[in-house]
Formats: sequence, structure tokens, C-alpha cells
Amino acid sequence: MYDWPRPHPLAARYLLACAMCVSLLGCGGSGDSAPGPSAPGLPSETLSTVGELGRQIFLDPSLSASGKMSCATCHDPSAGHAAPGSGSGNIGTPDGGTQLDVQGFRKAPSLRYLRFAPAFNFDAEGTPNGGFMRDGRFGSLAEQASKPFFEPHEMALADSAALAAKARVAPWAAAFRAQFGESVFDDPARALDRIAYALAAYQKEDPDFARFDSKYDAFLAGKTKLSDSEMRGLALFNDPRKGNCAACHPASTPANAPGPLFTDFSYDNLGVPRNPKIRANADPNRFDLGLCGPFRADLTGRTDLCGAFKVPTLRNVALGGPYFHNGRFETLKEVLRFYVRRDTNPEEWYPRLPDGSIDKFDDLPAAWKGNVNTSEAPYNRKPGDAPALNDAEIDDLIAFLNTLNDGWQQK
Amino acid sequence: MMKKTALAVALAAAFASAPAFAEEDLRAEMRALREEVQRLRAELDAVKAAAPAARSAQVATPIAPVPASAQTSVASTSTTPPTGATVAAAAEPVESATRLFGYGEISFSRPQDAAQAQATVGRVVLGLGHQFNERTKIVTELEVENAVVSADDQGEVAIEQAYVEHQINDGLAVKAGLYLIPLGYLNESHEPPNYFGVKRNFVETAIIPTTWREIGIGLTGNTDFGLRWDAGVTTGFDLTKWDATDAETLESPLGAVHQEGQFAKAGNLALYGALNYNGQPGLNVGGGVFIGDVAQKQPDFASSNARLTLAEAHARWTPGNWDLSALYAIGSFSNVEQFNLTQVGNPYPVPKRFDGWYAQAGYKAWSHGDYALLPFVRYEQFNTARKYDDALAQFGYAAQPTEAVVTAGASFKLHPQVVLKADYQWFRENSSRDMFNLGIGFAY
Repeated sequence: MYDWPRPHPLAARYLLACAMCVSLLGCGGSGDSAPGPSAPGLPSETLSTVGELGRQIFLDPSLSASGKMSCATCHDPSAGHAAPGSGSGNIGTPDGGTQLDVQGFRKAPSLRYLRFAPAFNFDAEGTPNGGFMRDGRFGSLAEQASKPFFEPHEMALADSAALAAKARVAPWAAAFRAQFGESVFDDPARALDRIAYALAAYQKEDPDFARFDSKYDAFLAGKTKLSDSEMRGLALFNDPRKGNCAACHPASTPANAPGPLFTDFSYDNLGVPRNPKIRANADPNRFDLGLCGPFRADLTGRTDLCGAFKVPTLRNVALGGPYFHNGRFETLKEVLRFYVRRDTNPEEWYPRLPDGSIDKFDDLPAAWKGNVNTSEAPYNRKPGDAPALNDAEIDDLIAFLNTLNDGWQQK
Repeated sequence: MMKKTALAVALAAAFASAPAFAEEDLRAEMRALREEVQRLRAELDAVKAAAPAARSAQVATPIAPVPASAQTSVASTSTTPPTGATVAAAAEPVESATRLFGYGEISFSRPQDAAQAQATVGRVVLGLGHQFNERTKIVTELEVENAVVSADDQGEVAIEQAYVEHQINDGLAVKAGLYLIPLGYLNESHEPPNYFGVKRNFVETAIIPTTWREIGIGLTGNTDFGLRWDAGVTTGFDLTKWDATDAETLESPLGAVHQEGQFAKAGNLALYGALNYNGQPGLNVGGGVFIGDVAQKQPDFASSNARLTLAEAHARWTPGNWDLSALYAIGSFSNVEQFNLTQVGNPYPVPKRFDGWYAQAGYKAWSHGDYALLPFVRYEQFNTARKYDDALAQFGYAAQPTEAVVTAGASFKLHPQVVLKADYQWFRENSSRDMFNLGIGFAY
């Protein structure tokens, strides 16, 4: 537990407002154009003092070795808090490091709707669920938020002391001290903890992270109708014999959220093809195995989980690719064709070995290819079978997925 | 499998032979009345012996809930249990204003697949009632289903009833709280000795969601010519709970959206009314209707004016050793098209109509003292999704097939309130469900 000074809330807000005035006058305003919920120099109407600090930290590029990368670089508020079409090789993660030339390994996920994610756990049936990051290795939004500062391919700071040194001179530093104590930057570990705390508060409080204002939300509320194509797509999405998408991306409202989340926070092994655009994949012995490593270290013995990654929300999925943990596919059409033709036409997705055979599930070591989900629709097929969806049905499904974008307005 | 025509012949034969048993029937009724007078005399003696304070709390009406057909039926058959008050009077020499009652059932079922064979303590219910004075009483029931309740078990604990009843005058009573809706036979009278078969019939579980209770206020009236009427306003069902991916919605549409008095959404209240005619000894004819909106004024629910209507009609005739009954129930969800469209692709939309009926014949073939053997046969048809909205047709939805079930077996009563049961059930549509059942039931 931490024991930091707690100024009177009104005093804290006043100090924060003053600090923001100073920062605006001195710096000419924030360098990021993301919409802020508050008017310049005034406390936010929707965010707490800590949440507002988190918002400023989120948008602040000075907390990186390059001085040009903020949280918003990879989680752009104007792009569903993700970074479609970014990074060398277009793997969906902007390059980081001191020179912004270090490629990442996985596509940056959207931060939206993550406030409803449970901490990582094994459910009653022993299957993994929840957590943060694609392998669920972090237990909370705050823990997750504290990590990118020090990743070489992201903000690339050396340690928490380096972060504290940059934070000490950040535009929001005075307000931060007012909230967490004058000496907060003297203890780098504490400064990091409070920065992560503020970032998590921002993500939990800002309505932009959970808007529930898509066309589908309006449709559920009886306020609009879907087009014929979107309706057909919804039916295919739900139908256990066709898309069966809802099996992992439920379209119904869970108990802990005001609308559907389109993820059940479970893990699945889809056998996504290896992405040669990830430079680290030049090493044929390097594999990203999700739950069992290499980034996650506590489940390396659970080889049955090797290759499993967390099911993401499908809200805003149509804002742009690439898709899957390794950014292997650039368009939704490719993704959906892969889903339904992976087993009927594996030659379309995997390379051939020297003997002419198809190296199916080529991004997994041979020993763990058996972990791939081949039992559920639409994977439960074999070469020669008809795919679960044809191209026209895939187009309908994409039409439906487009109804999941935030910010829909009645025309 | 017995065909409908064969059943019809059996029923016709049963009715045709009824007059032959009239004399014996009369003798049985006289025996029952004589026993009842003896019990009442003993009860009166006990009351006289009690202290004045206890006398002021003397019961005028039974504390245990009593089914519609049993309250006024003179020719109560052996399948109608004695009331809680009667039982207590027989067991206790001194009258008490507080009563304990209850019932329980344990069953074994063996379908064709032995791996599916199962035995369970289906339910044990403990009831506690208190008579404050001759006009006012409370009734509470605590139920445990399937033996064990914990985070890792499938059992369930529930308050099945908790209500206050006040007798306004001899023919009119008002009740308020959590109580059973007076539709059909089983819902109000579901103690195992009261019905044939190890398991409750499908129509009164899949269509009428026995044991169905709501929080509300209701009136019950009895006229001199044997008509009981019920009317009330209660909580209703919550369609926003409908899960179109859950097969339970197909097993019992209303069972999937009932509220059972637990934080029941009450934006919409429901109305019910029921009539039962008991003016002829051994005969009960009645019916009821329950109607209410089911969106519960929840924001952002697509079918904001969705409505449920449930209606039923029933008849029971107990000439001599026979116990003949029939019931028809029909439910309808209206204005649910918009909600169903949000669920397209899922396997279980909200049905526009669901219904079912049964006909049943039981016969007291042998009795000796408290022992009695009662074979029975029941034929029932039911469909929990008889019809869907037309708008769903383009997405491939079609009505479910109608299931027909024949149940044949026997009840062996060790006592009017303790029964051993055995039966076999044949399913027309899904013969893999054919099963043999054994059960023990009791009520006190």
C-alpha cells in the first residue's frame, strides 16, 4: 500500500488547472491532436484529477527515448486506440527505439473496451481467460501501462529513473506533484507506479475507451435497422454452423458491461501463418508462442497452450488492418477467407516444404502444431470440403463487422 | 408406442365404466367424510383443552398452501393431500399457531444410454406457516433442489413462497408477497403424492413453468355454488434475459426468463385471472390467463413493447376409483420481431407461440388401509416453438417439431402422503430420450 499525501480534492483540481495553464502558455499546447474532454486550463468534466493527469501522460511524447513516441502513437484515439497500417512491414505497430527504427513483434492491440477485461485466470474448466497483452501476462491496466516505457522497440527508456527524470520536467509535472506529493519524482519506482496508476484511471474513466455507440449498438436498442447485407452478415456471424464467430466474439451483452464486447477474453490457437515481414522471424527457430512464451514466462511448461493468443474485441476491427497477433493479413477479406479456407485449401496460406508437402501451421514448432483448433466450425473441415462461407457471404460478414465501429451517427 | 386412438379408446372405456363404480364411489366418500369428522372432533377437543391465548390463534384456514381444486372439492381423491392443518391436527394433540410442512422427491432415471442414467434428490421443501389470528396467516417455503448447493455444484436454494394472506370474509381472501400463480394443476399443487409420474408432466413445466411464482397482490374468492375465482397483479417475466444461444429457452421459454422474486424487474407488471368450478363432487373445471409486458422498460432493448400472454384450460373428474384429467396451455410472445432480428443466426429465437396439452387417466386398482396402488397413463403433446415471427423465415428459421410423450406407470402409496412411483416414457420425436423412472415422494 502507498501512503502519499492527499490534498483536498478542490485544491488538487485548482492546482492542476493552474499547472495546465502554465504548460499551455509555455509550450503552445499539446503536440497531439487527440480530442480532450476538458477545455484548456480547466479540469475535465468527465475525468477525475488523476484521470486527467493520465490523459496528459498518455499523449506526452517526451516520455520516450526518441522524444517522439507517446502511448497514443501506438494507441491512436482517432483510430480506435490502435495503430492500423503502421510500422515497417505494416505489422500494425509503429517502430520504436531511440531512432524510431526498431520494429516490434506483435500488432498493437486496441485499448478500447479493455476496462471490462478480467485479470488473467484459469476458469472452472481449466481454460485460460483474461489478462492484458496478447498473452495476458499482465494483471491490470496499470501493470500493462507501465511496461512500454522500457521496451527497446517502444519507448526505450533505460529504467524508471530515466522515466522519472523526463516526467520531472513534463508539462504536467506540477499537477502530478500536487496530486502525489512534492517528492514523488525523487523515488523513481513510486513515480512509475503513480504514472501507471494515472494512465489506468484515464483508460477506465474516459468514455472514448468504451463508447458503445456503434450502429450495432443502435440496432440492439431498436433505434435503427441494419441493411439486408448487414443482417445476413449478422446471421452468419452468429450461426454455429457457418461463421461461428460469436463462439469467441459474443454479440450479446455480458453482465459486467452495457453492451456486447465481442470477446469472451478466452485464448485460441488459430495456426496463423508466419509473417515474414517481422524481421525477428528471419531466425527459423524463433517462434512467438503466446501463452507459453517467449514474452510470457510463467506458463512455459504448459506446452498444450503454445500458440494460443487472447481473443480480441471486434469492435472497431473494420477501421483497418493488419490483423492477428503478428499482423499477417492486411484486410478483413483475407482474414475471413483464411478462417474458412485454412483447412479446405491450406495451400493458399502456407508454404510448401522441399518435398512438395504443405507446411501447415508453419508458425509453430512441429511438436505443437497439434494445439491448433481444428475441431470447431469453421475449421472442422478438410481439403475437398466446401468452405463454411463463400465470397458473397464473406462480403456480408464484412458489412456486418463495419457496423461495429464506434461513433456511428444516424444519417 | 401407444397411439392416440388407443388412448382415446381407453379414456372412453374409462368414462363408460364410471357408473358401475358409483356405489363404491359413494361408500368411499362416506368413509372419507367419516374420517374427516373424527379428525375434526379430535381437533376440537384439543382446542378446548388449550389455553385461551392459543385458542385465539386457532386456525380457520389451512396454513399450508392449498391448490384450487382441493380447496372446495368435496370428492377429493387420494391423490389430493390433506392440508397442512389437517395433518398437523392428526399428529399433534394440541393445536399450534405455527406449522411446519413440506415435501420432497428423490428420483432415478435410466434412458437408453446407460451413461445418462442419473439419480438425484430433485427437491426438498421446508414450509413454515404461522396463523396470527383466524383471519391472517403467513406461508413461507424454502426449497433445495438437487441436494447440494455450492459454487461448484448445480443445486439451487430458493424461497418458493413467502406471502401474507388475510381472510376478508368467508368468501374472499387477499394475499400479498411471493406466491404461486393459479394456472393449471401442478403449479399450485406440485407435491409428489398429488400427481402421477415420477417427473412432472411436460406441459406444466415446458409451457406453464411450474413452480412459477411472482411477487404481487391477489384476491381469491369462493362462491356458494362452488366457483373459485382468482385475480391479481404481479411481477412478470423479463425478456431482456433471453439468451438465444441457450438451449434452456427451447426447453421452457418461460422458465428461461422467469424472475422468481429475485431483484425482479418490475417496470411492467402483469395481470392474471383464473376461474375454477368445483360445484359438482369429484369435478373440477377451470382455466386462467396471465398477461403482461416483458421488456420491463429496460433502456436499449429492441422490442420495448414485447408482451407475453399465457392461457390454459383444465378439467379433472374423479368418479369412483378413477382420476381423469386434461389440460391445454398456450403461450404467445408478441411484438418481439425487432429483438429476434438482433439475434439472427443464433439457434433459439423467441417463439411467437408455444403450446401443449395432455390427457391422463389414473385408477385406484387396489387399496388396503393406507396402502393403495394407482396405475396411470398420460399422453401429452407440446411444442415450445410452434411458430416464429415471419421475418425470421428468410434466415432459415422454421417451427420446431411437436413432441409427443406417452407416460405409463404406477404410484404405490404407503400412506396418502408417501408414494413410490415407477413409469416409462416414450418420446415420439426423440426416442433417445425414452426412459425408465423410479421415484420416492412425500408431503407432510
